[in-house]
Amino acid sequence: MSGATDIAVVGFAQTPAVRKARESEVQLLVPTVTQALERAGLDRREVGFTCAGSCDYLTGGPFAFVSNLEAAGAWPPISESHVEMDGAWALYEAWVRLQHGDIDTALVFGSGKSSPSKPDELWAQQLDPYYLAPLGVDPGSLAGIQARALLDAGKATERDFAEVVVRNRSNAKGNPNAQVAGDFSVDELLRAPYLRAPLRRHDFPPISDGAVAVVLARGDKARALCERPTWIRGIDHRIEVHQPGMRDLTTSSSTTLAARKAGYDGGPLDVVELSSTFSPQEIILRDALGLADDANVNPSGGALAANPVMATGLVRVVEVAQRITEGSAGRGLAHATGGQVMQHNLVCLMEGE
Amino acid sequence: MSATDTPKENLVMEHLVSLTYTEELTPILERYVDALIDGHIIGHKCPSCGRVYVPGKGYCPICVVPTTDKDEVEVSDHGTVTGFTIVAPVAYYGQTETEPFVYASVLLDGCDSNLGGQDIVGVPHDQIRSGMRVRAVWKPKEKRNGSAVTNRGWGSVASVIDAFEWTGEPDLERAKYEEHIF
Repeated sequence: MSGATDIAVVGFAQTPAVRKARESEVQLLVPTVTQALERAGLDRREVGFTCAGSCDYLTGGPFAFVSNLEAAGAWPPISESHVEMDGAWALYEAWVRLQHGDIDTALVFGSGKSSPSKPDELWAQQLDPYYLAPLGVDPGSLAGIQARALLDAGKATERDFAEVVVRNRSNAKGNPNAQVAGDFSVDELLRAPYLRAPLRRHDFPPISDGAVAVVLARGDKARALCERPTWIRGIDHRIEVHQPGMRDLTTSSSTTLAARKAGYDGGPLDVVELSSTFSPQEIILRDALGLADDANVNPSGGALAANPVMATGLVRVVEVAQRITEGSAGRGLAHATGGQVMQHNLVCLMEGE
Repeated sequence: MSATDTPKENLVMEHLVSLTYTEELTPILERYVDALIDGHIIGHKCPSCGRVYVPGKGYCPICVVPTTDKDEVEVSDHGTVTGFTIVAPVAYYGQTETEPFVYASVLLDGCDSNLGGQDIVGVPHDQIRSGMRVRAVWKPKEKRNGSAVTNRGWGSVASVIDAFEWTGEPDLERAKYEEHIF
């Protein structure tokens, strides 16, 4: 991506994903934000811009996003913004803000407690208010329609879906923040009953509570703060039409376009983290990104192992950045998604020095 | 059919959304409710700056340091009205009030955060003022419960304290509460 300022991830932290956190969402954020800043060696009073992603509907608290800001220490007043989106889009906004060149650092966080709500009931309201929301079409049903379309197009089999689950759950064994992990066999999974045919329970993500924070820095400031900054080589997001019936659900054209605009050239990637919250979506995203069959996808276990909605996408960025910072990866790609059945997709391409 | 031939009457579709939430109080709020039912108002005192928050948040939003049960303190049930409004209710879905009512912020003695949305009794509405000294009118112990306390941070005590009444003391001078309006 030509002309963009060099901006890097220089600190990060995340909570373990859990089915139900007793603490408030802000209580999840306070230690997470503090740890990310400590890891970057940055005093919170030095942060140039703060941006958060969350959704008030999850806990049902009007203006809950305002309380979340207390985790950043908002007094004396700070320069901040909020997106009612995954924290990955807060990262995007902070990245754009840093392009202005007048500040050197930004704090980004994403958080969500899905446990108090009924996700099926809640997310139906994301659909259009005339045709689909009144029907109460839940995310699992739409993902089931998407999975059926994949099967009908001959692009995947139910066995393929199960293989995605087996691989992600196995990868998650090495992730202390994962909620679902372990060794499973494809045949064993295929014996489970359907939940939203052709999807089974294991094709769904867990319901998770969690939070994640990232510190960004620009140019020399990033080099001063971090021995091995994770440079954002390109970041872009694209959106498709709202009405799921007007899309080809077996593809993700917005992901393909976002990856191209982010500067992904199809070259080798040491690590890829995808926000595929339903197992067939990993197959769609691999195709949309043109990934090789043996690509290192979701070494963390991905969203099928932990899905703290509103943090899930930013966690993908952290999982890639962590591997680059530690030196186990040189180049990686993180993907975040929003809307129903991957309507809106973000791609972030990262590299070490 | 051209656009001008379409019927002119408005199409109305009823779509009342209902969302269900099930939540347990945070451990800090559970202790807060137990204390309230027992007639005590407790909060957390920041170990860094000394500010007291009721109910405790588990952190100080000014210093961004965690607070725990070890930082628990009791505050008075006497306080000062720092701000108020008289609400003339309009009939909207869920509004049960029909007559003008008070919505006041009360700064309890020994506390740095307000209790919002409190009723003030003992004086006519037109005599309510910022700086006015008030004390809690507790419900009888057997009628107290935690139903008004939620995780959403509004600090309601309505299921334990009915209202605050004027104590008859002179008003508190503005300088002593103006840093605690919200």
